[in-house]
Amino acid sequence: MTNRANGNGLAKVDSYYEDYGSRARALAKEGKRSIGYISAAVPLEIISAAGFVPVRIKGDPGKAVTKADSRMETLVCPFLRSAFDLTLDGRYDYLDGIVIPHTCDSVSRTYDVWKHSVPLPYYHFLNVPHLDDGPSMEFFIHILRTFIKSLERHTGKEISNESLKNAVEAYNENRRAMRAVYDLRKPDRPLISGVEMMKLLSAVKALPVDESTALARKVADEVKGRKKSSPRKPVRVMLVGDQIDDTALIEIIENAGAQVVMDDLSVGSKLYFSDMEATRDPVDGIAKYYLEKVSLPTFYRDSGGSYEENLELRFGHLKRFVSEFSVDAVILLVYKNCDPYGFEVPATTTYVESLGTPVYYLEDEYSSSSLGRLKTRIEAFLETLA
Amino acid sequence: MAEERKQRMTATAAAAKVPKMVRANFTANLKAKEEGRPVAFSFIVNCYDEILRAMDIVPAWAESYSGICAAKHDARRFLEKAESQNFSRSLCTYATCGLGFEAWRKELGGEMPPDAPWGGIAKPDFILGTGQMLCDPRYKWPQAVQHYMPDVPAYIGGFYWPPYDENMDQREVEDYYLKYAVKELKGAITFIEKQTQKKMDWAKLEGLTDLVDRTWDMFIDAYELRKAVPAPMDTGDAMNTMVPLAFMLGTQEAYDFYKALYDELKEKNTRKEGVVENEKYRLLWGAGLPPWFALSDFQYFNSKGAVFPAERTYREAERIDRLHLPKLSDPLERIALRWMRYWTNWYDAARKRKDSIPEVERLIEYIEDYKIDGVVFHQAFSCRTWHSGIMLQAQILKKVYKEIPILVLEGDIVDISSYNEADVHARIDAFIEVVDNFTKRR
Repeated sequence: MTNRANGNGLAKVDSYYEDYGSRARALAKEGKRSIGYISAAVPLEIISAAGFVPVRIKGDPGKAVTKADSRMETLVCPFLRSAFDLTLDGRYDYLDGIVIPHTCDSVSRTYDVWKHSVPLPYYHFLNVPHLDDGPSMEFFIHILRTFIKSLERHTGKEISNESLKNAVEAYNENRRAMRAVYDLRKPDRPLISGVEMMKLLSAVKALPVDESTALARKVADEVKGRKKSSPRKPVRVMLVGDQIDDTALIEIIENAGAQVVMDDLSVGSKLYFSDMEATRDPVDGIAKYYLEKVSLPTFYRDSGGSYEENLELRFGHLKRFVSEFSVDAVILLVYKNCDPYGFEVPATTTYVESLGTPVYYLEDEYSSSSLGRLKTRIEAFLETLA
Repeated sequence: MAEERKQRMTATAAAAKVPKMVRANFTANLKAKEEGRPVAFSFIVNCYDEILRAMDIVPAWAESYSGICAAKHDARRFLEKAESQNFSRSLCTYATCGLGFEAWRKELGGEMPPDAPWGGIAKPDFILGTGQMLCDPRYKWPQAVQHYMPDVPAYIGGFYWPPYDENMDQREVEDYYLKYAVKELKGAITFIEKQTQKKMDWAKLEGLTDLVDRTWDMFIDAYELRKAVPAPMDTGDAMNTMVPLAFMLGTQEAYDFYKALYDELKEKNTRKEGVVENEKYRLLWGAGLPPWFALSDFQYFNSKGAVFPAERTYREAERIDRLHLPKLSDPLERIALRWMRYWTNWYDAARKRKDSIPEVERLIEYIEDYKIDGVVFHQAFSCRTWHSGIMLQAQILKKVYKEIPILVLEGDIVDISSYNEADVHARIDAFIEVVDNFTKRR
């Protein structure tokens, strides 16, 4: 592990990754409060404009779920159970509140479980629609305004349009900074490893946006100065899935001689590859961004065209990524009990294969106990590509 | 035991009629297909009932067909086919059973899979799904099934209702929820008009909306006769008698069914004729879809002197006057607001009781109205929609209301592989002992 005292970008990333939320916890002691949230469908711009640090609640596949067992059913998404278990364990005890969006059934149907098991001053259920048509957009704008009002009620302070506009700009800046790091994965011999990238993706999820942007820039500057790491061009892998927020799987891939050069994850590129439009009323731009630009399978998209056109609409970004990042193979990892991703597996694999790119589908349980099995399968897959 | 399950008894004459009605539903979609009339895949409890009936669309209920496969112990081959397509076994098995069926049909060049239960389900002309009402598969299943029938278009409508918030009256935001739902229903009509080249008959829609209001009332009036001691009908039958409400809403036949059920239950009550001869325990089916392959478990409960006079599952209706609906002239507004007020019906009660939630208030209402001695939940492993949060409901019920025996059974709706009859019966035996002690202590 990198020396934490070093103070350089990657060392800081390492430190924030290992002790997730440490910065938010320290800030809480100084009076700067944090709001936790689940999934990529929560508008961080609004939380940030209300004066909170948005903290993405993550799980820990290395820790067995214990306390959650008596409160959250095993049929629920294993990532969510892990995240809930950590929260019960006090890992997020510095949070002022939690925002839970209507994404999948696992998340939406357990809102009350969180609320009644982890008492916090603020809770909000954000009723995000699954559709992106005109009426859904209007509805979502209302939903966002209700969210804004509830935060204002909680803090006793108005959230001005100006503060929202500033937050939109700050997050766009953050997206640009993160994309600049992604660019460093494009060369034949990527300048940043998949493991380092995953640590960065995770670390920045519990920082104020400006600190997150500064850290991403620092990392980019740092790795740009690196010499080519390996004489051999690695097999270039794109990792596709939802909340993969841990390095273990990527370590398996990279220890087998391949390199993760791109992702389509809800903690990764799904958040960073489009900018939010700066609209006169910032809420309009926020609504448009989340409904139209964030590619989660919980958003139903259909332009009314043919099935092939529909596949392009849903998975066309994967084609772009395969091309821009020279991807040799895709590993698709879906957690057990995940209906939104699970129902897309045949369509996703067929689409990727139609690009001439091999794809390997794995089902996992967000637990390090399954790593041995995954390791054998991934190594066998990568061998076929060597 | 298999034979016993095949001959599952029904206590009411009404329930005994249901299998024929279900079969008629499937015959209807196959016949419509043959005759070139439009058939739509759709899902029960979805806002579209009146629209489908007004536009003469024959619904092919996709979930129901999987339930039939399960009840006939013939779902496994379809589940395995879905698994071979990389659909996880942990996904909704209503959906995976249906997807396995469609993958197989595609392999056969459009022919029905061999020996398909009840002759199969028609290939639809289009699909009508929904967001939120009621679950993820209702917008993911249509997408997934298009992989096997790419020429079939789908319309997904967004129907949402305000979430429960103890600090906010849901009526504060109801207006924008309603406007949204109405626009989405209009979108459904435009979509169907385009598919069928036939215009909506608005007068017919209005008439059907009145009919559905009356059907909801008659359904509730009939079911409330089950408050009687001894109970004249239990949940084992309700898993049949829900069919007209869920699958035939918007038809005169559905209304007539509940009127006949009402008359039958009234007579049974006059004669004090119960489900079991010596009713000892009254149980509430608290939540959870049933194991369709093991409905005879209800009879096992009955054999212990236990009856289920009420259930939350498939009771997707309420008396219209209890929903306090304003006078509305637009049938789409009436449809949307009726559903919205139904889903939020127990919010006010929850706000009045510290630490309660609407789902628990509904349980409490039934426990009191139906003189309940214990609550049984069923957790189907493949369905997160109805089965997440059951443990919390059980805990809150005991905390905010009173100590009451609770049993949580585990299984599935379609996948029989996790079911062990001996284990389930042993758990029921133990629970009945607890209920017995509870009633004696009371």
